[in-house]
Amino acid sequence: MSTVERMKMEADIVCVGFGPATAGFLTTLTRALLKEDGSPAFESKVMPGMPLQIMCYERADDIGFGVSGVVTKGAFIKASFPDKDLTKEIPNAVAASDEKVAYLFDYLGVSQRDTGTKFVDAVFKGGRFFMGKCPEAAELPWIPPFLRKEGGIVMSIGSFISWVGAELMSSGLVQIWPGTPVSEPVFEGDKVVGVRLVDQGVDLQGNPDPATFMPGMDVHAPLVVVGDGPVGSVGRKLDDHFGLPEGNHQHDWAVGMKAVIELPESCTLKPGTVIHTLGYPEQEIFGFMYVYPDRTASLGIFVPSWFDSPVRTTYTYLQHWMQHPYIWRHIEGGRLRSWGAKSLQESGVRGEPYLTGDGYVRIGEGSGTTNVLTNSGVDEAWHSGVLLAEGVIDLLQRGETFTKANLDATYVRRRREDKLNADLQKAKRARDGFQDGFFKGMMGTGMTGMTNGAMNVSSQSRPPSQRIKTLLETFAGRISEEDLAAAVAQCAKDKQPLHDTLMVLAGWPEIKMDGELLMSHQDVLFKGGKVQAAGGFANHVTFAHPEICRTCKERTCIEICSAQAIMPGEEGEPPEFDREKCIHCGACVWSCSKALPKDPEKSNVLFGAGSGGLHSNEN
Amino acid sequence: MADILLVLHTGSDGSFSKGALESIATTVDLSSKLGGSFAVGVIGAGAGAAADTIAGCGAEKFYVVEDEAVAAPRYSSDVKAATALIQKAGAQIVLAPGSSRFARCMPGAAYRAGAQIDTHIVALAVEAGVLKAQRWYYRQRILTTLSRAARPWVLLIEGGIQPAWQGAAGVADAESVAVEFTDAELRTTIKGIESPATDAQTIRPDAALLFVAGAGWTKKQADGAYHIRDASNLIQGFLKKAGASLGSSKSLVDLQSDGQETLSFMSHMNQVGQTGTTPRHAKGLSTCCHGEEPHAVGWRFINERRAINMDANCGWAQGKADVVYIANAFEVIAKVNELLG
Amino acid sequence: MCSLALVPADYTQMKINQMENKTMEGLQIVVCGTLVPDPLQTLEPVTTPTGPGLKNETMLPSVLDPWAAHSLYEAANLAKKVPGSKVYLVSLGPKAKLQQLMMTVAQKVPFELVAIDGTAGGFTDAMEVAKTLATAIEAIPGLDKTRLLVFGGCASASRDAGVTMQLIGEQLGITDQFVGVDEISMSDDGSFSVLERIEGGQYLASTCAGAPAVLAWATGSLPEPPNNPQVGMANMRFVMPALQKAQPAAVGVGGINFEKSEVPAQKRATRIVKDVSADVIAAEIVEWIKG
Repeated sequence: MSTVERMKMEADIVCVGFGPATAGFLTTLTRALLKEDGSPAFESKVMPGMPLQIMCYERADDIGFGVSGVVTKGAFIKASFPDKDLTKEIPNAVAASDEKVAYLFDYLGVSQRDTGTKFVDAVFKGGRFFMGKCPEAAELPWIPPFLRKEGGIVMSIGSFISWVGAELMSSGLVQIWPGTPVSEPVFEGDKVVGVRLVDQGVDLQGNPDPATFMPGMDVHAPLVVVGDGPVGSVGRKLDDHFGLPEGNHQHDWAVGMKAVIELPESCTLKPGTVIHTLGYPEQEIFGFMYVYPDRTASLGIFVPSWFDSPVRTTYTYLQHWMQHPYIWRHIEGGRLRSWGAKSLQESGVRGEPYLTGDGYVRIGEGSGTTNVLTNSGVDEAWHSGVLLAEGVIDLLQRGETFTKANLDATYVRRRREDKLNADLQKAKRARDGFQDGFFKGMMGTGMTGMTNGAMNVSSQSRPPSQRIKTLLETFAGRISEEDLAAAVAQCAKDKQPLHDTLMVLAGWPEIKMDGELLMSHQDVLFKGGKVQAAGGFANHVTFAHPEICRTCKERTCIEICSAQAIMPGEEGEPPEFDREKCIHCGACVWSCSKALPKDPEKSNVLFGAGSGGLHSNEN
Repeated sequence: MADILLVLHTGSDGSFSKGALESIATTVDLSSKLGGSFAVGVIGAGAGAAADTIAGCGAEKFYVVEDEAVAAPRYSSDVKAATALIQKAGAQIVLAPGSSRFARCMPGAAYRAGAQIDTHIVALAVEAGVLKAQRWYYRQRILTTLSRAARPWVLLIEGGIQPAWQGAAGVADAESVAVEFTDAELRTTIKGIESPATDAQTIRPDAALLFVAGAGWTKKQADGAYHIRDASNLIQGFLKKAGASLGSSKSLVDLQSDGQETLSFMSHMNQVGQTGTTPRHAKGLSTCCHGEEPHAVGWRFINERRAINMDANCGWAQGKADVVYIANAFEVIAKVNELLG
Repeated sequence: MCSLALVPADYTQMKINQMENKTMEGLQIVVCGTLVPDPLQTLEPVTTPTGPGLKNETMLPSVLDPWAAHSLYEAANLAKKVPGSKVYLVSLGPKAKLQQLMMTVAQKVPFELVAIDGTAGGFTDAMEVAKTLATAIEAIPGLDKTRLLVFGGCASASRDAGVTMQLIGEQLGITDQFVGVDEISMSDDGSFSVLERIEGGQYLASTCAGAPAVLAWATGSLPEPPNNPQVGMANMRFVMPALQKAQPAAVGVGGINFEKSEVPAQKRATRIVKDVSADVIAAEIVEWIKG
């Protein structure tokens, strides 16, 4: 495609992705762009006589679509708005109040629990009389300080990002363009000189349609700000080009899937209630429920990369988790309003890429800002954007260029000296124990948390592709080899994922859909996520080596797919991808059980920039 | 002076459509509830003769505009004629069928007559002497009941909400209302009516059955191949044998504009739902369509609904259809066609 | 890589030239259209002090009203064919929501925005909306009715009354009006022919001597244009100032008394037939069709 004639556009700063990090960056930057008399503080280099030309391109069809709700201490975010009470500005935001951590018992006796977990089960069951009384669960009598969110905010990040976006655009100082996926950075040697937008008017394989073809435009800028998240196309291509700094890795991931539910009138939970759960539906799966005003709650689960089962369908697990008596008593009779999923990069600061280079800079989750001890990411991502803005303002004021050296001396220096970094370093090894299972993981997090990172549990880290068990190993003792083989053959013939069949064979009850709270996967896509995709774009999920897929038995990409967008193809052929269903969570990338022959750190799934996805900003 | 004026127009053959006759029934009904009288005004070619065919409807007075200028539907002449009728009759309530001709000109007539207007009325009721109208907002998502104090009030009645009026013809003795048309009002010339090239595959309001084809017909089937031609033959065969009207989901016609190989006889004209039409049929059969809300709102006025779908958890199964057959539509429709002979 | 140096500044200048060159013959196509809730959103009525509204109305993701959007694409297409033409988009909606909508719509085709800050809700009275829009159209600098075509959707996805365009036309004194338009073809002499949807899937074909006219569109025949960042940037030069100077308009329910607004429970007791042969199902369907 190198011969394609592309239109070129010039800007001063081009940002990729409008999430919390870019929002923090632009909020801070725009406040410095006007002098007191209202005239521009800095002149555009690319359009002399004009103010700075600042563009932001967002993949999702509108801003606030590709994100999820949180409870956050929000210290950094609040610091950016000293004069505002965010719980009043942002629809449905509320101060976090009642916090609970609940250990859920496996009331059905069907989950896979190792010896350590069985011990924990016994401890909690034995000790439940000292703890909060609740059905099939024990509430922790005390929450360790590093997990507490007191003083924080419960809010929909969709609403928050929409609010920030509207404030920014009404300033007239930046342009935020949704529905515009960025395909890749444009390099000149090791220098990044701009970004390339995706091609439009192409078929699913990327071949141009002569009538509608519009080659992705090149947007050149002296500074490219990459805040496109952990599975963002530009960030990943930078990592392909530069690699990761020595000693860093991105082995730890999770997919968070959530729903926004209208609670039944009978629900007595107060707005601001924060519930975290562990122990069920599998020992590796954590859950959350945040209660908003107006009888609304955001709830969901995390399926981590160290849950080694290839049968890891988050949606099915979410439905089982919702039906746990501890949760169900609050939501039964409610109605699912919104739904979505997203990958989380859980290696935290250990997954940090090169933060800067000539002409580019990394911020947000994709730059390793997630605190894996406190399980906090939004506030940290925002703050990395703020620190970058301070650095950029510094350089603009001194009239200096955006070289690696200058960006290191301003942005990176600020980041290293900030409390953000100190906290990230403390948290660095908090999750290491989970590499060896739930029990050791809990011990490790506790140790890291209580000693402020001084003491940690050690383990050997491996990329997910090297951890995922075979089907036989996963279901040993629960499904006979013959039954397993027959079920796999039948699913292949029916072109269905394995999970529903295998989970039922392993003893999980079938889910009785009611069309309101429990609905089919397809219904949750449309009714919950309002998923849609305009035509004219190529498939953004492809397989590097289809021949590897042909021999793959686990097909974890199909099982993990949050949206049934990756489904079995012809028998013996690679899975098929339906871009109209994809919600761009990116879980397929890190869940693939097959490493690239040339690079064991990477998987066989290629995840590019695509258009469409969720159309709900309640998440 | 009558309390209600019913405005009608003739068709190109000089007769009244089914919708017009239905609106007579609605008017008769409302008039008895309000305890007043009504008049009828007719626009179009042969208006006087047409008025005679409904002479027995109980109207106290008939008015007609049958100038050559209103022989064919043209906004500028229709709006002037309708305004003249409203002003001549002086009624407080003006009813008219929501035909394409009146949907186009009545808003302007209401404006000129200083009247209020509401359209797509699906029910009229009188409570404690107050006239209340029902209509949908947000494309069949929200049903409202509303009233207005101001008069005159023009209401366009949806088709299919009442059986057509049947009654004796006679001598209407209609009064001809003179309307002058200026050259400026005749700048538009009607060339005629064009039927789509494939007339069998359009939405036909008179059909008892609506057949809706979803995008599933054009997707890969169980054998891994596309069967567009088979789909095409099956659907066209069914339409012919069952005398059904053809609708489609949005995703199917969108595929078409994306240039994918699809059913060539489908267009946006067939689209049922949020951004398409809301047809009225006694029965509807959905095939290879998931039954999502934006599509299903277009089924608001389909009485009996059945669906054929491979997914037992599809939208139709969640209380949107009376019966959902979990089966391969290719196989079922082939067999249905065989049985229909 | 060969780059085409079409920078937006030039493009903007080109547009300004077009606007100021009074001698250039062309159409002024004014498209009326605003936001409606994204079709997949769940809508629930609530009662507000000013009449019925939608639950979480300010938060619902929105799109450009589908039929108005078709008319916008048709307007841009027509403007391209008739040299010297210009497209305006007149939008009545809450300023903040219009701003967000424009970031998507402005990338589609070139237009100049005329924004009016008011509600875009469906429960407003069409007469009030039409009055507001007609006033805004009359105020467009350099408006020349002999070159004016007023476009819009044949009905909105919100009020869905199908009357606003005609009322705008009446207030502007335009008596050539077409509703449910799927096609327009212009002749060199300024006359044009139109196809309007009528009953039974048929078209009414007419010709009109020329502007001014009102065309309320059905779907037309053009696909949604791709997002073009350059078009977006060029439009932005007009969008932001238009939003900043958007006048507030108090558009209400007029004389309507809303007695009741509800989402009727229409859940049916669905019978699911599975694991039955195609033959049996076919027989049942045939019986049902004939019955």
